[in-house]
Amino acid sequence: MGDRSTPTVGVIVNPAAGRDIRRLTGGASVSDNYAKRRTATCVLQGLTLAPDRIRALVMPDRADLGQRLVGGADDIDADVSLLDMQITGTPKDTRNAAEQFSDVADCVVVLGGDGTNRDVSTTIGDVPMVSISTGTNNVVPTPIDGTVAGAAAGLVATDVVDIEAVTQRHGTIEATIDGKAGSGTVSGLATMGLLDRPFIGTRAVLDVSEFVGGAVSRAFPTEIGLSGIAGGIQTCAPDDAGGLGLRFGDGPDADAHTVRAITVPGVVNTVSVSECVRIESGEPWTVSIDRGVVTADGEREREVSDAEVTFTVSDAGPQIVTIPAVFQQAVDRGVLSMQPIEQKR
Amino acid sequence: MVSIDIETEDGQKEALRRMMLIRSFDDTAGTLFADGEIPGFVHLYIGEEGVGVGACAALEPDDYITSTHRGHGHCIAKGLEPQSMMAELYGKRDGYCNGKGGSMHIADVDAGMLGANGIVGAGPPLATGAALSAAQKDEDRVALAFFGDGAVAQGQVHEAINLAATWDLPAIFLVENNQFGEGTPVEKQHNLENLSETAEAYDIPGFTIDGMDITAVYEAVQEARERARNGDGPTFIEADTYRFRGHFEGDQQPYREDDDIQEWQSRCPIDSFASRLVDAGVMTDDEVESLRAEVDEEIAAAAEYAQNADEPDPTEAYDDMYAVSVPELTMFAGRSVRADGGSPTNTDQ
Amino acid sequence: MSTETGTTHGKSTETMTVREAIREAMREEMQRDEDVFLMGEDVGLFGGVFDVSNGLLEDFGEERVKDTPISEAGFLGAGVGAAATGSRPIVEIMFSDFMGVAMEQTMNQMAKMRYMFGGKTEMPITVRTTEGGGMGAASQHSGTVHTWFAHFPGIIAVAPGTPAAAKGLLKSAIRSDDPVFFFENKMIYEQSGEVPTDPDFTLPIGEANVEREGDDVTVIATQRLVGESLQAAEELDSELSVEVIDLRSLYPLDTETIVDSLEKTGRVIIADESPISYGTHAEVMARLMENGFYSLDAPPERIGVPDTHIPFSPSLEQEVLPSAADVTAAIRRLT
Repeated sequence: MGDRSTPTVGVIVNPAAGRDIRRLTGGASVSDNYAKRRTATCVLQGLTLAPDRIRALVMPDRADLGQRLVGGADDIDADVSLLDMQITGTPKDTRNAAEQFSDVADCVVVLGGDGTNRDVSTTIGDVPMVSISTGTNNVVPTPIDGTVAGAAAGLVATDVVDIEAVTQRHGTIEATIDGKAGSGTVSGLATMGLLDRPFIGTRAVLDVSEFVGGAVSRAFPTEIGLSGIAGGIQTCAPDDAGGLGLRFGDGPDADAHTVRAITVPGVVNTVSVSECVRIESGEPWTVSIDRGVVTADGEREREVSDAEVTFTVSDAGPQIVTIPAVFQQAVDRGVLSMQPIEQKR
Repeated sequence: MVSIDIETEDGQKEALRRMMLIRSFDDTAGTLFADGEIPGFVHLYIGEEGVGVGACAALEPDDYITSTHRGHGHCIAKGLEPQSMMAELYGKRDGYCNGKGGSMHIADVDAGMLGANGIVGAGPPLATGAALSAAQKDEDRVALAFFGDGAVAQGQVHEAINLAATWDLPAIFLVENNQFGEGTPVEKQHNLENLSETAEAYDIPGFTIDGMDITAVYEAVQEARERARNGDGPTFIEADTYRFRGHFEGDQQPYREDDDIQEWQSRCPIDSFASRLVDAGVMTDDEVESLRAEVDEEIAAAAEYAQNADEPDPTEAYDDMYAVSVPELTMFAGRSVRADGGSPTNTDQ
Repeated sequence: MSTETGTTHGKSTETMTVREAIREAMREEMQRDEDVFLMGEDVGLFGGVFDVSNGLLEDFGEERVKDTPISEAGFLGAGVGAAATGSRPIVEIMFSDFMGVAMEQTMNQMAKMRYMFGGKTEMPITVRTTEGGGMGAASQHSGTVHTWFAHFPGIIAVAPGTPAAAKGLLKSAIRSDDPVFFFENKMIYEQSGEVPTDPDFTLPIGEANVEREGDDVTVIATQRLVGESLQAAEELDSELSVEVIDLRSLYPLDTETIVDSLEKTGRVIIADESPISYGTHAEVMARLMENGFYSLDAPPERIGVPDTHIPFSPSLEQEVLPSAADVTAAIRRLT
């Protein structure tokens, strides 16, 4: 990590998150840029809960969200400035900002969906991430008030809590594609799948009945999508070793599972799963298809044909801050109280 | 009148062909305009083909569309004939509008094409009206308005969306965000980064898609159409796209950089879809090239037809003003002196 | 020009007001053709701000009597779109002054579509709107703007001066495949007269009507000024024989009827509430000059609003609004 003299928090707000077709096809809530800016302002305010003054570095973006955020931060008791970087208006911006933060930040706050978090995780290294959900059906980030998230980040950055104890090491997934089309690798954070649909289209996974197979690095029924389907059969915590491999069938047979799951916001389905087994870190899980699309974290990413897709789960992902744990420890350590706890009693 | 199932291989080939047809039509129109063959203004759709074809493919033949000043692509996507379109560009009698409309006003109401439009933002109210008509007659039809990012700043666009949303009309509002309103970048015209956020004000779904990917447009419009037909009201779709040519032919384009143009050209909706089809084994490279050649030939034939087609008779200038005959037209037409010194003979004054 | 159905002065008539005549015209046409519908601000629940459409909502339901938001550009545009796709809308613009916010759809879409598309679309829309001062509504609710629309190619403009003309012309307007602007002077809604009750009764658009025959001087009037001119003619009856014509149709204009009258009387006054300069008067006068110059015995006179807006204060309003007294004075000057 970088400069220890001033506790530093990086802020990444993705202006493109939360605007996909699931606003039409499911019950996804809207996350407009005005709301994102308001949330991000709360994050900056939250930083002031920490005992030391925080330096906040904000990613600039093509929509001027970050720029406006910094411009309006005069009355916040923190050193707020813009990260010096080139703006491309693409997901590259997020990765470039995260890469810089990996050198200089003690904690980053990410406002975005699973896609944004995946982009951050590829370059953020070991810097703890506080993830606020502004995206659509999010598995990794949490819907939480910006002030609370900012306060958690401030506490982590000022080192008043034990970072190991308040973070979870999230897993990742990689898909290696060997096919007539689409060969190469695609990476994901929480879920990856193979969809029987000929094109990327509007990107979002709309119909889970099109899944042929996939793998997840975590699983729980409250997680919307593939990890929620798997989680209905067996759960897997984000920091558990390995993950789950999945195969889907047309109908229930002897060794199949029929799962009720929340598949898209606002949509509950019965899903037939022919296989859902624990896979070790690094263990290949292969699914093949004539023509389909590889998905990562709920989005269609690559069209493939005549392909064998091998998913592998890795345990060495980003450090995700568990927000309640931060505050529990802060209380236990008397960080938030103006007087030592003993004297108060 | 066109409807293409892009989920099938035949549909994919047809969608590709139609995009190529637009590209070839507009390439040819641009050249003919530069050569002084075509009068007036032409605004080319090159680069935006995926939006028009993807959207019209997802519509049913009886559905309505309204278009913009950049309307050639919408016409071809809706199934209008390049030959009659080219004749219209030339101002010939056999053109879609008998030579009275030109590039900016091609229409074929019977095919559901309610007209290209020279007024930015004028199409959405018309689409709302067509949707109102369909709803009142309980017809299985929707109306889709194509309009540009520039039009999102027009008041009547918002009025049209408000009406359609309030009355749950079967309408689809599709913004082609080609990044420039004439010569001014989109960010200098709007406070919203995502124009689709406009929808929130009207409590209807709004989202942004990659307009360079025909499959994304197709899927989005298909879903919006289903919503419309279920009586759930309109949808607002923003398709991010780019016009590879200037606002009009002859535009010196001081407002943008070559690098940006090249970056977007690398995402050409036709080339990228063609290569996806080749990768997937739907077509071979040779088949793509022969399709392109076939399309170029069709457009060349259309241009040749248009060049040789008959000019309208000057007296036709007085036709089509009204459904009925109005005495004023006869009276005043009689006073017009022809370039050749003659005067109309069909008057009774 | 004539409509499909000719004039049928049926035997049975009923005394009704202009307001009732307009309402009956709409009711009959909505009964006759299910593609006809009415939309506008407060036309349904409220019954129209001037009570013109009262009762239609109950008879036809809210699908065909649609209350709109206050959004003239939007709903007039929607009317144009609906007309192009097989409906026959009647759009009410509460005050013609509000046309300012809906001109785009009128001048560039409604008026031009048929022509631009080579005749390949119909535009059967009727726009009803109110005009005229006299009720202290001030400048933004009192204008007389019909000249703009009569001037604009592609639009038909009518402005009736009697209950019978209101009913007959509105029915023709609704049946017309062309866009028709129907201008209602709000001060004559209460004026009553005999109106044919035959549902097939219509009046052809493009024909003026001689309301009173005379030999000495012709007053060509519109709307409220038809009644004012008839009153002036009545008052002068012992001295002069005044012919009064209700112009009825602004475009197309019935050149024949007005020229015939000029040839008979040699003296013409044109009375119309639009501002005088570049007004309807000017076109009427031009037609007379072009076609009847040698029949003129005196320069024609124009009576209208003297190029001001309509002021609020009743004393000021009265000053600028033309009336029977102005017509009488003009007749005196000419004879």
